Amino acid sequence: MATTPAPAPAPRRRTGATRERQSTHEGFLVHRNGKWIKISAALAGALILLYILVPLPPHHFGSSWLGYTLGTLGALLILWLTALGMRKRAITPGRWSLKGWTSAHVWLGVLLIVIGTLHSGFAFGWNVHTLAWTLMMIVIISGIFGVTAYATLPRALSANRYDAEGAITEKQMVEALRSLDRQLHDAAQPLDPECARLVGRSLEQDPFTGSIVNRLTGRYPGDATREAAGELRRLRAHRPRRADDPLDKVDALLTRKEAMLARLRRHLRIKGWLQAWLYVHVPMTFALIAALSAHVVSVFFYW
Amino acid sequence: MSFVVRQIALKSSGEEIVRRAVVESDVLVIGRDGSSGIHLADLAVDPRHARIRAIDADRLLIESIGVQPFTVNGRSATSSELEIATGAELGFGGHRITLAREAESGLPAFTVRRIEAVSESAEAIDIGSAYTLQKLMPGKRLSAWGFAALVLLAFLAVPIWSWATYQPLALHKDARRPAGIHGDAAWSSGTLSLAHKNLGGDCQACHIQPFVAVRDNACMTCHKEDAHQHIADGARLLKARGEPTGFAGFQRAVASAFNKPAGRCVDCHTEHEGAGAMPATQQQFCTTCHDGLKTRLPDTKIADAADFGTAHPRFRPMLVAGIDGKGKPWFQRAVWQEGMKESTGLKFTHAQHLSKMNGIAQMVRRRPGEFAAGDALNCADCHQTDSGGARFKPVEMEKACQSCHSLTFDEIGGTFRTLHHGQPDQVVADLRAAFRGGMPPRPASLSGMARRIPGAAAQQSTAADYARAVHFYPMQADEAVAQVFSKGGLCYDCHTIGRARNGEGSAATAGFTVQKPVQNGRYYSKGWFDHKDHRKAECVTCHVKAATSNDADAVLVPGIDGAGGCRSCHVGEGGAKLASAHVKEPVASGCAMCHEYHMDSGAPWKPANKRKGPALRTAAWDRPRHPPIVR
Repeated sequence: MATTPAPAPAPRRRTGATRERQSTHEGFLVHRNGKWIKISAALAGALILLYILVPLPPHHFGSSWLGYTLGTLGALLILWLTALGMRKRAITPGRWSLKGWTSAHVWLGVLLIVIGTLHSGFAFGWNVHTLAWTLMMIVIISGIFGVTAYATLPRALSANRYDAEGAITEKQMVEALRSLDRQLHDAAQPLDPECARLVGRSLEQDPFTGSIVNRLTGRYPGDATREAAGELRRLRAHRPRRADDPLDKVDALLTRKEAMLARLRRHLRIKGWLQAWLYVHVPMTFALIAALSAHVVSVFFYW
Repeated sequence: MSFVVRQIALKSSGEEIVRRAVVESDVLVIGRDGSSGIHLADLAVDPRHARIRAIDADRLLIESIGVQPFTVNGRSATSSELEIATGAELGFGGHRITLAREAESGLPAFTVRRIEAVSESAEAIDIGSAYTLQKLMPGKRLSAWGFAALVLLAFLAVPIWSWATYQPLALHKDARRPAGIHGDAAWSSGTLSLAHKNLGGDCQACHIQPFVAVRDNACMTCHKEDAHQHIADGARLLKARGEPTGFAGFQRAVASAFNKPAGRCVDCHTEHEGAGAMPATQQQFCTTCHDGLKTRLPDTKIADAADFGTAHPRFRPMLVAGIDGKGKPWFQRAVWQEGMKESTGLKFTHAQHLSKMNGIAQMVRRRPGEFAAGDALNCADCHQTDSGGARFKPVEMEKACQSCHSLTFDEIGGTFRTLHHGQPDQVVADLRAAFRGGMPPRPASLSGMARRIPGAAAQQSTAADYARAVHFYPMQADEAVAQVFSKGGLCYDCHTIGRARNGEGSAATAGFTVQKPVQNGRYYSKGWFDHKDHRKAECVTCHVKAATSNDADAVLVPGIDGAGGCRSCHVGEGGAKLASAHVKEPVASGCAMCHEYHMDSGAPWKPANKRKGPALRTAAWDRPRHPPIVR
């Protein structure tokens, strides 16, 4: 790239075109011109029509021929969808590319709502059968949430990393905080014990502190840095102004640290949401497979 | 006094740099302030935190200047004596100060070392994991296996354990599981119907063997008495249903392959469909066999039936055909048609009695308050429903007729004498007794004092004449008896009266016979009809001939078609009707609306607790006890 001569500056056009690059990238959701969304939609429509039109007993839909067919189809589909966990560790191109596989995973997973619910015949109760359906819905909804997160959050993640000085990496965020902390430490040396303690608390705080709730909401009540900054300002308000007040510098540094912490925590929040759904999606999938096994065994056990 | 202060700093390579200084002072101040003897750049340390002075050559005293404590050998203190020879370790914020006697100079030396990083962020941070949720959430792998194991335990292992522990209770009618954990309740796909509510959590009442579909023997554990007749011959039942073809045949094959044989009770009697009464059987369940039954079971006596609106056989009411030698009626079924007759042995003019403009109506008007309507007789004046309301009690002469058709024949001192209804010999005896006083006048010549023709011959002749006269005198009693049993007489008006022939009848009834009347209590015994359900309709809506018929033998019960027939309102389950039927307010009617299925005689498909009273089937006249004679 470095050897490529810079292209002649294009004449300025007044078309309202944005600076964003036009991407030729085709995401997994619309892989191969939305092949899998079309297949899934067609199957869902066909199954709903079958459910409506085929004359079957009004009760016990699950044990009608269509019910058994849907049940078998759903169970096999669940196992195949789970196999993405193994498949994703082997990236291959071509006809059965991982992207195609993921596309099918998403859209056939959504189709599973139709298959599973029609299989239930809308008969729900407090039993292992409805448990399996509920777990299935939890897995699917968490998956839909994950897809939505993947489609929208990376943009926010990028936006958070960019500022006037360019992008900042995760490592740089930590380095920036370390640098600010060192400067704070030095600047706070002349302070009286009360103020020094406030600054010290800010320094002792782990920037990655907080529970999963703090992480996902981005709210950290009682944050030491913010408290220190606020308290120092309050104390300073009642003191006579001095030209070389060390609090001036500490205050400026705390403000910068606050800003950097806020950016770090926005980053953590967005990344947290990108990952959190998998902590539901994956364990619930295995709980679902267990419930599904119990459902199938129970049906044949009390045949 | 002099103190040695050795400040140790770390290079980035980890190498130590030692800065040694000797402080000449009686008091050594420890603090963040730059002027302190031991200067600690530590925000946790006060600018002037503590001071040290010598007590004697071997001992030092350290005490806080403010209120902030420090640690001595790991313990918090504000004042402490230190032995120089023994040494000590002091802690101030993130710094550690060790006291020892310096070997070369013999002075007490304080070695100052920063042991904590300036800030938390300066500590080593694993960038790879810090930005993930790894430390905040239990691992995905762990929770996946955990949840899966939990579900398998609760919903597979525990239910199977429940099944295994209660296995010996199966196939015992009154055996119930003791209270406790019934894990297999979690397998139930829905609540049991009300009829099976008392089975509670006893899954094994029906599900006896694992992986074996529910068989009839489970049902028959309790339903020995009340299972319907269809069950008697399962093979015949299957034959009636016919061999499934095409896709249905494939389904049957798959079901058999999965150990689900056809023809079990549960094929139709599905369970786990919610806590309600068992739903009305759908027409489809009946017509599967009964539509075209003759083609599959040529020897059946049952006519083919499908939809009530279009394909139901004509009704065959059970009619009174006559009276046998012992005075009991015999019945026979015949296809309903216009103008059918039966032998009731009664005469009754429905039309005349219901008229609004004749003498009968006038009589009703003169006796206000005694009849249901004020202007004419009404059906309900004579016909009363039974306690259940489904059918009508037989009309009783004493209650229904006698207020007009009085059997009074004599008055003695203001008291009326009444003939005994239903006892012809008593009637004859009473009449004879009443008219016993009637004799021809006795001839004067036969009295002792009267003048007479001399000689015995004349007297004998008179006596003989008189005796003949007495013998042949047309007595009033016989006249009355004959009158009461003959046309225009009290009995004859309503009853069919015969004359003794060939030794029938007896002298006690003066040779007259009264045919025993029969009232048909139930015409349609194969189907169910409930008058209560139809009480909003006028009687004549269905019994259309009642207002015009003057023949008690005429069958006024409607058939399936024609005026007043059931199809005037009732259409098939799906609303189907014949083109010839004119239906204003259609009532969709499946088979189970009228047809009884089980061995008891309650109304079809009504749950037992909703059936009204046993009176419906206790009356002797309810059902014909004689086997029907089919022509």
